[in-house]
Amino acid sequence: MKRLFAMAAAAAFYAAPAAAVEIEVGYPYSHLFDVTYEKIMESFKKEHPEIQVKFRATYEGYEDATNIILREAVSGNLPDVTMQGLNRQAILVEKGIARSLEPFIAKEANFEKEGYHQAMLDLSTFNGDVHGLPFSISLPVGYYNMDLVRKSGSDKLPQTWDEVVTLCKEMRANGVKNPVFWGWNITGNWFMQALMWSQDEPIVKGNKVNFDGEAGLTSFETMKKIFRGCEMQNLSWKDALAAFASGDVGMMFWSTSALGAVERSKGDFEMKTAEFPGIGGKPKGLPAGGNAALLVSQSEDPERLQAAWTFLKYITSGTGAAAVAETTGYMPPNKAANEIILKDFYKRNPNKETAVRQLPLLRDWLAYPGDKGLAVTQVIYDGIESIVTGEEDDMKALQSDLVAEVGDMLPK
Amino acid sequence: MAVDVAASSALPVAVQPARRRALAPASLAGYAFVAPAILLMLVILVAPVLIAAALSFTDYSLGNPGFDWVGTDNYEKMFSRSTYTKMLTASATYVLVVVPASIGLGLGAALLINSLKRFGDFYKTIYFLPVMAALLAMAIVWEFSLHPTVGIVNQTLESGCGTFLEQISDWYAAGCARNFPLWFGDRDYAIWTICFIGIWQGFGFNMVLYLAGLTGVPRELYQAAAIDGADSAWDRFRLVTWPMLGPTTIFVLTITTIRSFQVFDTVEAITGGGPSKTTYVMMFAIYEKAIQHNLIGIGAAITVVFLAFVLFLTFLQRWLVERRVHYT
Repeated sequence: MKRLFAMAAAAAFYAAPAAAVEIEVGYPYSHLFDVTYEKIMESFKKEHPEIQVKFRATYEGYEDATNIILREAVSGNLPDVTMQGLNRQAILVEKGIARSLEPFIAKEANFEKEGYHQAMLDLSTFNGDVHGLPFSISLPVGYYNMDLVRKSGSDKLPQTWDEVVTLCKEMRANGVKNPVFWGWNITGNWFMQALMWSQDEPIVKGNKVNFDGEAGLTSFETMKKIFRGCEMQNLSWKDALAAFASGDVGMMFWSTSALGAVERSKGDFEMKTAEFPGIGGKPKGLPAGGNAALLVSQSEDPERLQAAWTFLKYITSGTGAAAVAETTGYMPPNKAANEIILKDFYKRNPNKETAVRQLPLLRDWLAYPGDKGLAVTQVIYDGIESIVTGEEDDMKALQSDLVAEVGDMLPK
Repeated sequence: MAVDVAASSALPVAVQPARRRALAPASLAGYAFVAPAILLMLVILVAPVLIAAALSFTDYSLGNPGFDWVGTDNYEKMFSRSTYTKMLTASATYVLVVVPASIGLGLGAALLINSLKRFGDFYKTIYFLPVMAALLAMAIVWEFSLHPTVGIVNQTLESGCGTFLEQISDWYAAGCARNFPLWFGDRDYAIWTICFIGIWQGFGFNMVLYLAGLTGVPRELYQAAAIDGADSAWDRFRLVTWPMLGPTTIFVLTITTIRSFQVFDTVEAITGGGPSKTTYVMMFAIYEKAIQHNLIGIGAAITVVFLAFVLFLTFLQRWLVERRVHYT
């Protein structure tokens, strides 16, 4: 009896720290990140047994993620930490949902030495305060099925979109039914921003649309050239990724983020990644993709907030960041991870290095200001879709339609 | 006392005197009895509709502390922007295809099953299965079956390549040369594929309603018709069955139309309103605007128009019923 009592007491004592603080976390894209969090949690649990992390149902994508947080803010059941698309942080900061991280950073003795890239921290800095810690950063790259590319007669990879279209035609002539998938449908308009940044132009300037000029028209014309020249099929991105992994698609232009998932699921063919082609030359810039960890806790309990901060810092530095690079195609936001833990990682995984080579091109992934930001994304998405489906042929008309409609929706 | 009230209201003759003494204790008790139901109806049905109607004149966005009145802006947008024209086209196409087809197939299946001596229950079960299955789950099954490259439908079609089929159909030859249709990705096919799933899912329900209606047709009428010289099956159907099914048809028509206006699951799960907004039906538009984009104002405006359609259909049904489709 006495022993039983002791055991119960021991069990209670053992269980106590584990139950001490529980934090809730939400993240998007389960097909990319499930493995990452599994890996991180393994070591996190060992180092911080006092913190219980409860994951909420994953968000489908970045738009969905922002929406859910906005709704949860109204209904008052926000998680403690949420992972949000880089371009959706602004709206959460504006509405006062995301908390400033400065008080926590001030308490850290040597935060500077943790190795966060300044350029990446800048992506999450609003009004001079850091509000988020970047978790994973991506850039658009080209994925090539070398077996199919060689059918064109050479294995030279294209540098510009014109070369892509030429390669498409050669591949089609040699029996490749599906030469290209160009990821126009990735989070609304990321690729449109990629074409704009390629010409060193942002898609919005302040509250004004910026695709109304020459650069905008060139972007639309380039898309049309790719879609029509390659007779690209209108696949949903899930279908496209599956088709590429099964070896049906010759070239896929997509975010480097899917590299981990594609490598895990791909069939028996040689795959290479290469730099994102440009318009008539190398791109002058490319939009950063990816997500950042935001503290959105409504709790006032300092212990819980500290636990959330500990988690936030853990996943974005050192081992956490290394796990991001190892399990996905994302780049870790952290120099320390790049230099220490991942020393020969890129030598062993040359495909994952493509994005790192493009790092000097890193630009902001812009958000549309105002309440209708998500709706603006949809309008541009619909516009690009009308080029893909062949509904719209006159790029000038499409451009002026979109400029008018988006201009209407942005705050004056 | 309650019995009194119920009995008196059931008899049209008794209504007049009851109305004259409106405040008599008996009728007060009556009001007291229906009060909870009316209260609930006001709170969970009428009030939200009124709130939605009011919000449709604002630019409220979820999470904002306040909103501005914008008059009929939202409605004007709805009738001028091409997006909403496409929305109305998609909804109208869906309703106009699914309603006649699923009623026709429902009636046909009911008549065939009714004429069977054996195995009737077996077929009933088969046709009713899609109704019982969750549409969302079935949508995913269809998405796999109609997958452009690995789906069973296109795989089967591909296996016919190189045979006589290529000679007799240009469509087939084109499919073999390049690829068979992207059922959900091609704007010439998507809405029809969604319609097809809607019909497949819905007609079993109509079949059951018609089967019930058929049991109510008296045998004597067929005998009388036979005596009067209606010998062919078509005559019997035209002169007896179809008129006697009048009330059932009105009910089936209304239910199916409202259900078709409400289509959402398949669109949300498979096409997301695309390609080029060809499957952008009203329910999905409401969801996209109000829930996905947080633009409550325009979402509420679409909701009001949607409710107007449904209300109109319900009144139309009342009017038709009063025009005596009932023969018995």
